[in-house]
Amino acid sequence: MSIEVRNITKTFGNFVALKDVSFKVETGELVALLGPSGSGKTTLLRIIAGIDVPDEGNSAILIHDEDTSGTSFRERRVGFVFQHYALFRHMTIFENVAFGLRVRPRRLRPSEDVIHQKVLALLKLVQLDWLGDRYPSQLSGGQRQRVALARALAVEPSVLLLDEPFGSLDAQVRKELRRWLRRFHDELKITSVFVTHDQEEALEVADRVVLMNQSRIEQIGTPEEVYHHPANAFVYNFLGNVNLFHSRVEEGKVYLGDIPIDLPSEAAEDAKTALVFVRPHLLEIELQPNGSDHFRAKVEHIHAAGPVVRVDLITDWGDPVHVELSHERNRALGLKRDAEVFVIPKERKVFTDHSKPFGSERELP
Amino acid sequence: MMDTLGSTSVKARRSTACTLTEPLWIKGLLIGLAVLFLAVFLILPLVVVFTEAFRKGTEVYFASITEPDAAAAIRLTLLTAGIAIPLNFVFGLAAAWAVSKFDFAGKSFLVTLIDLPFSVSPVISGLIYVLLFGLQGWLGPWLAAHDFKIIFAVPGIVLATIFVTFPFVARELIPLMQTQGSEEEVAARVLGASGWQTFWRVTLPNVKWALLYGVILCNARAMGEFGAVSVVSGHIRGLTNTIPLHVEILYNEYNSAGAFAMASLLTILTLVTLVLKSLIDWKSRVH
Repeated sequence: MSIEVRNITKTFGNFVALKDVSFKVETGELVALLGPSGSGKTTLLRIIAGIDVPDEGNSAILIHDEDTSGTSFRERRVGFVFQHYALFRHMTIFENVAFGLRVRPRRLRPSEDVIHQKVLALLKLVQLDWLGDRYPSQLSGGQRQRVALARALAVEPSVLLLDEPFGSLDAQVRKELRRWLRRFHDELKITSVFVTHDQEEALEVADRVVLMNQSRIEQIGTPEEVYHHPANAFVYNFLGNVNLFHSRVEEGKVYLGDIPIDLPSEAAEDAKTALVFVRPHLLEIELQPNGSDHFRAKVEHIHAAGPVVRVDLITDWGDPVHVELSHERNRALGLKRDAEVFVIPKERKVFTDHSKPFGSERELP
Repeated sequence: MMDTLGSTSVKARRSTACTLTEPLWIKGLLIGLAVLFLAVFLILPLVVVFTEAFRKGTEVYFASITEPDAAAAIRLTLLTAGIAIPLNFVFGLAAAWAVSKFDFAGKSFLVTLIDLPFSVSPVISGLIYVLLFGLQGWLGPWLAAHDFKIIFAVPGIVLATIFVTFPFVARELIPLMQTQGSEEEVAARVLGASGWQTFWRVTLPNVKWALLYGVILCNARAMGEFGAVSVVSGHIRGLTNTIPLHVEILYNEYNSAGAFAMASLLTILTLVTLVLKSLIDWKSRVH
């Protein structure tokens, strides 16, 4: 069952939550809606589910190529997993999962035996069959999340929508559950969309990622595509840590310190300024210049706890720079605070297209 | 698990607090003052009500609560509560539902309106009914022409009681429903439940204890209301006297045994209410 979103616009008073958003999820895909908070991704998910209604216009949500406008929830058959689970607190886990079956009209309602078997099978699927007679308040966050999933699956949904499914879990459980979700999806092959603000989660779990920012879609692609070929400065900046330099364009070149960089071919000819991005692990530190392009910087701080060593530096023109090194490299260099070093960018990305705005915390000058 | 953790931390705090508390005699003095206060203002009156009621023996007691006027007052009180409570149950639930689950213009005005009976003196609210429905009132001539009697009759008493007890159910439900939010309802709808199914299976079970609590408080007030009812009733013996009004009449006639006997009925109601209230507190905490 595919999902197609066509020209969705949604405003709340003066606030525009979604601006003419369109994309398609193919049958059996697991797609992540990724973006900073306030980018409209949860609103989009709720509109797909039919909980919220888009503004009037030529918009449409198609599930399996059928227009869903005006259909009831029962006809849509959407499984929705809420960020805070929204389990029925006065019902046992068993009754929570059975709810979708029990509220069916009498002629469509399965018999008590069938409901019982089905609920037990679902609870077994999410590995919680031993908790059927507990109440939601007696379960841990991860367990509640899986109950919410089982409850959504009980109505045999044609598509599954998950709103920040791991948002309120601690880091360890998050990692476990998202791998579990991926295996789970591979087993059931149900078309799924999940919302997240965690780029690591989206890149790890999803078949394709829809990157959203300020009510629009910035890029759609597989995790490899969006990571290695970001469409614009926002995407590059949002996917992983990055060093950002504001540079001036002079005679067709961008300057990172003294390093001249060619403008990208697609850059606007009249661009006056450009943004240069370098990921922290693509910067090298040398104690002596070795002939490669480099700029000078001073060591401010060294964080050695963790799998890599993170070094904070400050360039001689005053920009902060973050570099990631292996522990071996760090020992070989013998870095100290306030040491003067040479920084060599191995790979850099230049964007001159300033029309794409950033998240509010990174407003361009 | 949580409970054991909680109690150990409380114990730990208590043992450190011991060194910081007042000397024994101050503790004794403060506790003694509190007990004395409770005894004089709460327990003593309670005891007095029952001793006065039974002063002339159990026969007089039962005679004074079964004589025709007293029986009529008891019947009227039960009738009034029997009408006012179901109506306020429905009004309160509907109002709380609207206020806590939906956003609409004039919401804060509605909330203020719900609180109005609490902020207005009951005598004044009774007086407003007289001004509205009384013979010289706005609607009085029309009502008289169509032979409707509201003031100095049962309908007036019921109206005044409904007005005075209106906020109890809604006030009890609104904060609870607001903290619960409407996410569970949305979840039920997405799972295919109809509006009614959502209400009966999700909304109502989630508030049942608060609802019951509100109804019990509402009942206690409905049966005990004096001010508003006194203004609209006209104090006609055997016809428009509720228990509280009957107590006043008997007392004014120096029939203190009768007055206290009737008062003891209201006191028993209070005690039953208190027991039910703590039962519900306990029940809803277990859940």
